[in-house]
Amino acid sequence: MDSRQKEIDSLKDYKYGFSTDIENTKAPKGLNEDVIKFISNIKKEPQWMLDFRLKAFERFKQLKEPDWQKPKYPKIDYQDLYYYSAPKSMKDKPKSLDDLDPKLLETYKKLGIPLQEQARLNGIAVDAVFDSVSVATTFKEELTKQGIIFCSMSEAIQKHPELVKKYLGSVIPTTDHFFATLNSAVFTDGSFVYIPENVKCPMELSTYFRINASETGQFERTLIIADKGSYVSYLEGCTAPMRDENQLHAANVELIALDDAEIKYSTVQNWYPGDKDGKGGIYNFVTKRGLCKGINSKISWTQVETGSAITWKYPSCILKGDNSVGEFYSIAITNNHQKADTGTKMIHLGKNTKSKIISKGISAGKSDMMYRGLVDISSKADNSRNFTQCDSLLMGNKCGAHTIPYIKNKNLKSNIEHEATTSKISDEQLYYCNQRGLNQEEAVSLIVNGFCKEVLQQLPMEFAVEAQKLVGISLEGSVG
Amino acid sequence: MLSIENLKAKIDEKEILKGLNLDIKPGEVHAIMGPNGSGKSTLSNILSGKKGYEINGKVTFDGENLLELETEERAHKGIFLAFQYPMEIPGVNTNTFLKTSINAIKKARGEKELDAIEFLKLIKEKSAELKFDEKILNRQLNVGFSGGEKKKNEILQMSILNPKLSILDETDSGLDIDALRIVSEGVNSLRNKNNSFLIITHYQRLLDYIKPDFVHVLKNGQIIKSGDFELAKELEKVGYEDFN
Amino acid sequence: MQNELKLNFDKIISLNNFSDSQKKIKQENFNNYFEKGLPNKRNEDWKFSDINQIISKNFDNLNFIVDQKKIFEEKDFPLNFEHNKISFVDGKLYDFDFKYEAKDKILVDQNLDLDDTINQNTLLNLNSAFLTSVSKITIKKGYNVKKPLILFNYLSDGLKSSAINSRVDINLEDDSSLCVVSFLNENSEKNFINFRQKIKIGENSILKNYSLDPNTSENIKYLNKDINLSKNSHLEYFILSEGSKFIKQDINCNLDDEYGSISLNGIINLENEKHHEIKTVINHKKENCKSYQLIKSVLNDKSKGIYQGKIFVSPEAQKTDGYQLSRALLLNESVEFNAKPELEIYADDVKCSHGSTSGNIDENSIFYLMSRGLSYSESKKLLTNGFLNEVIEKISNEDVKKLVKKLSGINV
Repeated sequence: MDSRQKEIDSLKDYKYGFSTDIENTKAPKGLNEDVIKFISNIKKEPQWMLDFRLKAFERFKQLKEPDWQKPKYPKIDYQDLYYYSAPKSMKDKPKSLDDLDPKLLETYKKLGIPLQEQARLNGIAVDAVFDSVSVATTFKEELTKQGIIFCSMSEAIQKHPELVKKYLGSVIPTTDHFFATLNSAVFTDGSFVYIPENVKCPMELSTYFRINASETGQFERTLIIADKGSYVSYLEGCTAPMRDENQLHAANVELIALDDAEIKYSTVQNWYPGDKDGKGGIYNFVTKRGLCKGINSKISWTQVETGSAITWKYPSCILKGDNSVGEFYSIAITNNHQKADTGTKMIHLGKNTKSKIISKGISAGKSDMMYRGLVDISSKADNSRNFTQCDSLLMGNKCGAHTIPYIKNKNLKSNIEHEATTSKISDEQLYYCNQRGLNQEEAVSLIVNGFCKEVLQQLPMEFAVEAQKLVGISLEGSVG
Repeated sequence: MLSIENLKAKIDEKEILKGLNLDIKPGEVHAIMGPNGSGKSTLSNILSGKKGYEINGKVTFDGENLLELETEERAHKGIFLAFQYPMEIPGVNTNTFLKTSINAIKKARGEKELDAIEFLKLIKEKSAELKFDEKILNRQLNVGFSGGEKKKNEILQMSILNPKLSILDETDSGLDIDALRIVSEGVNSLRNKNNSFLIITHYQRLLDYIKPDFVHVLKNGQIIKSGDFELAKELEKVGYEDFN
Repeated sequence: MQNELKLNFDKIISLNNFSDSQKKIKQENFNNYFEKGLPNKRNEDWKFSDINQIISKNFDNLNFIVDQKKIFEEKDFPLNFEHNKISFVDGKLYDFDFKYEAKDKILVDQNLDLDDTINQNTLLNLNSAFLTSVSKITIKKGYNVKKPLILFNYLSDGLKSSAINSRVDINLEDDSSLCVVSFLNENSEKNFINFRQKIKIGENSILKNYSLDPNTSENIKYLNKDINLSKNSHLEYFILSEGSKFIKQDINCNLDDEYGSISLNGIINLENEKHHEIKTVINHKKENCKSYQLIKSVLNDKSKGIYQGKIFVSPEAQKTDGYQLSRALLLNESVEFNAKPELEIYADDVKCSHGSTSGNIDENSIFYLMSRGLSYSESKKLLTNGFLNEVIEKISNEDVKKLVKKLSGINV
């Protein structure tokens, strides 16, 4: 009875906190060359892919785990993790959704992710990643007609090696920082997108990540290439079951936009944040980087970060092509004991490049929130512009809000503007809403959604509604 | 409908209301006039449930102890305060706010909530009645509104929520003559045998448009005199200073 | 350089008659420095100004023992207002004159009271290790110093490749006030200046502290200020950063009690390959304190300007009002401006904001002025002067304001 009540209580807090009882195939615990070979082997990878991984691993062994970030965490024993876990039924990958393990389908149904093609009404093509493996990709046929490739990374390595070889690691090299390099060595799966020249992708592409197995690190790798004149909007959603131990999620996402291409990448991250006392939860240490390689290209990141025990990521844009544009819209909410150190980097290399950063941070409970960002305008990036607005909202005086922008300007023809504010919801605003019949939580949710509006507007419709609800839910119980 | 008995209120140890008595029956319009610092705004804040006051006395609304209710519960029961200084809420669309508000009240009353179409119809109708420019409803709540727009927005909210008791806290301050007329027409159109009003003001001019049934003079935290509309005229002539 | 440094240190110990406890503190400081060396860009506080590299680039060898020759030119600054003065030669107290003030209300003293705790800033370790005296200025309770106090820093003629350490402690007792102007008279060759001030402002007291660097010199300077503010006290701080080859002003202010306020303003106005940094930390520790910072930079030629400013608000510091604005004009394609305006906030009922802009001068304004007959360079000069003048106007002491305008040539 007691344990049942506990379960009920905890489920109430985190809607996605169930785990699915599925048999898994795991690589042996630990990190070494054999495990990497095991992963490569089980995925039937060509030699060049294995070489890529081993090269990264060589480099990884020389790297030290960074410790400059604000949220500290207990040391991770990298030898005590599983680096590969796949539902057993995936060993022989199903040919169609009908072959999928019904339990998996059930899981995604619970999450509200339409895997069945009947759910086409939603008009979103979904690639679902369960633990480390891509389990299903929808709408494939329709996309193929336009020459769009949307498949799992493993499949892309097999079927489109020339593209993968050319672009994988071109934005995040195998010699990058600690977690990115670890990912390069052990990544298991993820999504691959290629939009051919002058094709506007007719629907939102979406990946849904879920961590299920315990003691498993999740290391996906996503690669999106938008060829000349193309457009794609990509959505990413994440959940994980509640477990007492912390789980590591260290994904790499690389975006490449060629001439006149545009990539819009939206994330709603709702990994399990740990319980009220800060036990458990996901360590979300993700490397996301976009390269505006061509002229007039554009990459736009939008993120709503409400989950994870620790979020530590800086989706960035390298503005290499002349006239290219980088955008970063972020809402980050921390409650209870959550910690976030997030922001962006805008590296202006090309002429007439523009970037915009809108960051809204909300901290409640005993949480800690940090915006950390870099705007760097090089001496060659004539007539470039950056505008940054960072606003923080504090709820209660046991939490913290920090803003650290690094601003570097080496170009006299370029301008950087940065503004930041920190405030709280005023009692007067709450009183006004109460007087119009809203209770405290409704009032807070309304005001916070208003505070975040500029960012919410950037999300595709279907996501915006979900995100708005999440904003409300994440702050429940934070005003008393 | 509303009954106030010997109401005393302190804030930061300072006594502001010193035993106030007032009875408002359904359909009545009462005006409270008084100089600055007489406790007018304190009265409206206490009736709508603002925190931070130390309160003594008895206030009932439809027979229920009002002082025990939260601010939003009072709103659910039909008390509306038109703020002297309406708050700006950045990022929140005025329409969204109105819909959230009306549905919160409907939900609390166990009534059916309005869907988007019903809501838009209601808004259209009320805006037309008040000659209120609908465009303003697509802007952020009160952000960048002129003083007059803010006050008109309050009256629009009042007419949409259709409260039993409307308290207008110095709604006339800072209004030009046209805005004043629109605000008054809004109030007059809501007047019926069930709805009551408490109009708090410094000047007589609003009362020229909204003829109150009763006028009370508030000075030093007490009602020192009550009468009909003639009392307002007398006040205007004599001034608060010499009025006893 | 390390071996020589050790010899220098041993020499300074043997030459002076330090007490055992002083020796112990000095040794600890020296050891910490010796172990860690000068800060470099891997150190977050030195990210934009790698002092280790700057020192090794500019000096083959640094001499830490300064034989005070006391031969110097007592160059007259254009001070056409009545003032008190204290002069220092090579960092040591030399002379003082308070002819306008009540004698028993101002104490000037020397001792060697070093901090017991070993600072993690190795430049301060160096300072403590090589200091032979600390100069102490005390303003007695209730006394308002009538005339500005000028701190003249002279260096001996011909002094070069020397590391000069100095420390001045200023203590304003309750209900007092003081206006201080610090100068370095640059008649020497290239030296490394490591000056420290520790300041305490008593209850209801006012300190105006103006740190001026108007004259071109080859000196490399590190100026560290620790300022503690008591209840209801006020600090006005102004920086004119123009002349030296390199300066880093490292200013730490602690609002230790309620109702303290700080107005900290500065100008970085650079030419050639100068490299200047202003770094501030404002620590809001208690309720109802205010801090306001305005830093403006104008960068010419190949110069480099940096502003790192942090507002820290502790959980007790409700009702904090913190504001910080940095604006920079980049006037040449080889200049560089870096900013790191930082907020770290743990209290919810606060009003904190910062802004930072950097960019070029508005060509439309230049065009407007040229249409009124000014040349391009005159227009540019006028606009940059106007830009910087806003900061100078914040100086509340009229005499000092005039002086700063004269020294900087910014007069609009």
